[in-house]
Amino acid sequence: MYSFTRRRLIVVLLLTSVLLLTLDRSESGLVGGVKDAFGVVFRPVERFANVVSRPLSNVWRGVLDYSDMRKENLALKDLLVKQEGAAIAATASVREAQELLALNGLPTLAGIDSVTAQVVGQSPSNFTQTFELNRGKSSGIRVGMTVTNGAGLVGKITGVTLERSVVMLATDPEYAMSVKVGACTRANTTTTAVLQTSTTLATDGSSTSDTMVPGDGWTTPVTTVAPSTTTTTSTTSTTTTVLQRATTTTIKGFTPFATTLPPIPGGGGATQITVPESGVLLPRETGAMEGQGIDRLPVIRFIQASSRLGDLCAGVPVVTAGGSQSLAPADLVVGTVSRIVTRSGTSGPLLEVELAANLGSLNFVRVLLYQPATEIPQ
Amino acid sequence: MKRFFAIIESPFTRVFLIGIIVLSFQTTLFNTLRPFSVVMQVMLLCSAASGVAAGSESGAIAGFMFGFMYDMVLTSPFGLSALVFGFAGYIAGGVNTFAYSPRWWFKMLSVGISSAAAVLIYPAASLVVGVDGLLQTRVLGVALTVGLFNAALALPTVFLMRWALVKSKKQMLWAE
Repeated sequence: MYSFTRRRLIVVLLLTSVLLLTLDRSESGLVGGVKDAFGVVFRPVERFANVVSRPLSNVWRGVLDYSDMRKENLALKDLLVKQEGAAIAATASVREAQELLALNGLPTLAGIDSVTAQVVGQSPSNFTQTFELNRGKSSGIRVGMTVTNGAGLVGKITGVTLERSVVMLATDPEYAMSVKVGACTRANTTTTAVLQTSTTLATDGSSTSDTMVPGDGWTTPVTTVAPSTTTTTSTTSTTTTVLQRATTTTIKGFTPFATTLPPIPGGGGATQITVPESGVLLPRETGAMEGQGIDRLPVIRFIQASSRLGDLCAGVPVVTAGGSQSLAPADLVVGTVSRIVTRSGTSGPLLEVELAANLGSLNFVRVLLYQPATEIPQ
Repeated sequence: MKRFFAIIESPFTRVFLIGIIVLSFQTTLFNTLRPFSVVMQVMLLCSAASGVAAGSESGAIAGFMFGFMYDMVLTSPFGLSALVFGFAGYIAGGVNTFAYSPRWWFKMLSVGISSAAAVLIYPAASLVVGVDGLLQTRVLGVALTVGLFNAALALPTVFLMRWALVKSKKQMLWAE
């Protein structure tokens, strides 16, 4: 049987917990202040414990992770070689894009200052997915700022003290972000003929010389020549990648956009040219990406499978949507769509996102000193 | 001076000091050792062991203190761990009273069961306070692992918590 004291104790503890939870959920500064004060006392003890326990941690890691580490190291070296060439091409493209955005007076990532910080701790909980960084308020970091690494989006700052900050990972169930996702741009690599027509001058002076990239509406160029003209036609075979919705341009000798990929190691030296035209720049749909917890990929909701957007397929890139209410600046790489779950009714498909950043092995990260409007204290 | 020593000798001062030290190892060593990708919960272990060592009431208070300290380093809703760990301490003390003179294995069982129960309750309590997404099937595996680990370390921890919470006759005479 419960005694009066027991009941009173339970009630007091319950009420205290409820009070603490209420204070926390009402975002009272009191909780933050108490945590900061506790941190001042606790940090030296934690540092000491870290020094004492490090050998044991290293032994644990050495025993369990050594073979995996070796395999991973070899795989990463291989991957690095492949990525180097692509990274150079990508850097050039990003620079070009930023210059274009700057020319049009649009905000770019290049205009946002950032702070590099090291991951010094991980959440000891089995439920929350957070990391601790060795930089805080003194470096200009504030709650709500976006955290990235070399690969892409990592998460956002949810707590800051003077010298430390806490990052909530993008996979945490409480994390949500507006993102943009495009439709597939399936490239058809076809060997096409480029017709080259050279014309000698006619006696009346009328002449036509044209070179066209074949497409859906490709037609033989009209050549008006006088009967006395001698025409020589030669056909050159070339490998051109024409995207599905390519249309014929009528501007002579103009290629709207061209990217030359670096040669693939061991690819036999073949070079392919991708020639998407302005019509190929498909519209992108905006959705909400939400974390799903440990061991589960984030998902994107509220995407409408419309004819305007085209087909959705795995592998298309996902970038942040940006905007005045968004938690991150626009066009920050998030990852790629790994799976599409079709749902009935008007709920639209659900897209699983494979994050570009490897959240399992974070060391140094970049905190963008961009505080979203929604996170600035009123 | 006598008053100062009385405060120093207070069981809850000892709980606080043990809590600080255990928490420092929770955030460092036990954060690295993750069998089956599960973080061992030594703060929860201490909470449950308090209940076994000193009964339901002391277990609930000590568990609340351990949880409160744990909340200081977590980003989860403040007070949630305090509530759940307090419950774990209370339950552990309650389970232990089922046996007239509990044997060692029963103490291990009490700690293991109450720890696993606390791990299962945590996501449910999170849901009540508005944190969605933690209640997944993975929780069952986490509860089992944490329960087994805490049961394995129950005996030395119960001994430690008995030292912290239960005054010996010698100590009581000295305090007088």
